[in-house]
Amino acid sequence: MTEMTDAPATTPLLEARALGFHRQDEPVFGPLDFRLAAGELMLIEGDNGSGKTTLMRILTGLLRPEEGELLWRGEPLTWDRCSGEVVFLGHQLGLKAELSPRENLAFTIGLHGHRNQSDIDGALRQVGLTGYEDEPVRKLSAGQKKRVALARLLLIPAALWLLDEPYANLDRSGIELVDALLEAHIAHGGAALVTSHGAVQFHGGEPQRIRLHA
Amino acid sequence: MANWIPLWLHKLSSPPVFYRFAGVLRPWAIALAVLLGLVALYGGLVLAPPDYQQGDDYRIIFIHVPSAWMSLFIYGVMGVAAFIALVWRIKLAEVVAMASAPIGAAFTFITLVTGSLWGVRMWGTWWTWDARLTSELVLLFLYLGVIALYHSFEDRRQGARTAAFLALIGIVNVPIVHFSVVWWNTLHQGSTIKLLGPSTIAPGMVWPLLTMMVATKLYYVASLCSRARADLLALESGKDWVRQIAENEVRG
Amino acid sequence: MLDTRRPGLVHACMAVLRRDLTLAWRQRGDMMLPVLYALIVTSLFPFALGPESALLRRIAGGAVLVTVLLAMLLALDAMFRSDIEDGSLEQLMLAPQPLALMMGMKILAHWLATALPLIVIAPLLAGMLHLPGAVMPVLLAALLLATPLLSLLGGILVALTAGTRRSGMLLALMLLPLCVPVVIFAAGALAAAQEGLPWIAPIAWLGAALVLAVVLAPLACAAALRIALDS
Repeated sequence: MTEMTDAPATTPLLEARALGFHRQDEPVFGPLDFRLAAGELMLIEGDNGSGKTTLMRILTGLLRPEEGELLWRGEPLTWDRCSGEVVFLGHQLGLKAELSPRENLAFTIGLHGHRNQSDIDGALRQVGLTGYEDEPVRKLSAGQKKRVALARLLLIPAALWLLDEPYANLDRSGIELVDALLEAHIAHGGAALVTSHGAVQFHGGEPQRIRLHA
Repeated sequence: MANWIPLWLHKLSSPPVFYRFAGVLRPWAIALAVLLGLVALYGGLVLAPPDYQQGDDYRIIFIHVPSAWMSLFIYGVMGVAAFIALVWRIKLAEVVAMASAPIGAAFTFITLVTGSLWGVRMWGTWWTWDARLTSELVLLFLYLGVIALYHSFEDRRQGARTAAFLALIGIVNVPIVHFSVVWWNTLHQGSTIKLLGPSTIAPGMVWPLLTMMVATKLYYVASLCSRARADLLALESGKDWVRQIAENEVRG
Repeated sequence: MLDTRRPGLVHACMAVLRRDLTLAWRQRGDMMLPVLYALIVTSLFPFALGPESALLRRIAGGAVLVTVLLAMLLALDAMFRSDIEDGSLEQLMLAPQPLALMMGMKILAHWLATALPLIVIAPLLAGMLHLPGAVMPVLLAALLLATPLLSLLGGILVALTAGTRRSGMLLALMLLPLCVPVVIFAAGALAAAQEGLPWIAPIAWLGAALVLAVVLAPLACAAALRIALDS
């Protein structure tokens, strides 16, 4: 994998200027400003209902921000501009219960393509699902399903990872897996935004932190 | 072309300004609508001469025809508002589109009921699959679909935008339905029924009809004003101007 | 930039089609439900109208048409429902592929899984109602053109209800005005064929409408989805 820093160093990958969102005119989260460059990690912390998921959906471009600006590589972010460069892992994992992990990932690759030197079996091995490749996803545990979704991160060639509560449902080794994936992604010049309602220890350098209040 | 019109429209699209504007407009519109409606009814039911073929039965047109016009007119307004709501995402346009739908549905319903009452006397049947009747029925279903879709969303603005999209699909659909029903009818039986019995209408019948048309338009304006005001209050309930109105209500 | 192999359009289309068809095949019990429903409805007609074959022959074409339409309506709600619930629709929207084309593929897969079985048993349904054999090809032609039209129109409406919880009755209410012309032309062709009149004109109209819908409906479907999920 090569570095993904062909954009000028001054232009961050993602930049928010006074970003705000209302639902039925109730503010969901206040004006937010942040810059996320390649090779950076940002943690978004906040309690339940503080708008973390809403923020994530806005950052994917699925939801329109009501106030402020969101720039992707220096230009206003729309869903078609960043599509393919962003991978989103939400509460709903986007897995088909009737298909096996292998089939689910094959579909992902069919849409997104895959990184060089990555393949489905390798990715499944890396997330610790060897032996479960051909089980239907509905037979897997919640943690294992999450691991299938994490395998998608290894395959999709995306510069920015948006991970909404990636630690939920995971055991200790799963949490270490997420940390290891993030570290490798950052080390290779990727960027990531991670939400969490608890404290997160991250070993690969000090991340930026944003706190949302309900 | 002076640019005060777009400027004025832009100002009007702000919810508090429209709220006040609609509040002033509404009583005038409703008073005029009632007045003109009564005049038109008197003119239509008492003064106008009986038809040489239909006798007094035709007098239902003074309700039926203006309602039919309104059912199409309001769909047009709703379509334009829906388009504005989707393209420029103006909140007032969403409100106007969604407030128009029930009024339009009501006029469509009146049109169908009065038409069928008239049909019993004239054609001896409540219902016939004539192109106009069928199109009107489809129009009613379109209105009902828009209303139902709007109310099936928890988020009202999202519901309004989605229903606006459906309203636009409907605009394409109505002419297609009309055309296909005409084609269908000529295939089956040939259209033997003309909606208006007399081919030339007596002048004594024209002015009550036109007066009633103005009255229904004014009623629509008044009804739209009060519905839009209520919707705006609900949508903007968190805003300062609504809070001020509420405080004034409590004090006054 | 990342050195990647971004899949081509054809590849992505095949991926969507293959996944949806695999899913349909894994749940082929569900696939049989509309077929069963159509059989039940059709067998009710003789009970309701009497077994007199002249009468049945007269209504056969229209009855089969309406039955197939209702059976499709039954399955319509499920078109994107599971994709919305498990989040795969969001993943599809974030993929670097034109959403309209992907929706078109999903509609095609849905048509193959629900309408095609109905078309296959349509001769049986028509036979139950004594449709003359000569009209059978016209029935099949009408169904082959009308059912994809309904799938495409239905796809737009299902996308519009994507943000709501349950939508069965709502879909029926919204689809009715849209399918009136489709039914009229399909039934018109059948009626003309039954009376020995030329039936090519209504079939041609259906074909023209289908061509338009194939181009426009996926675009409308994608737009509707973006509106319906934008909140």
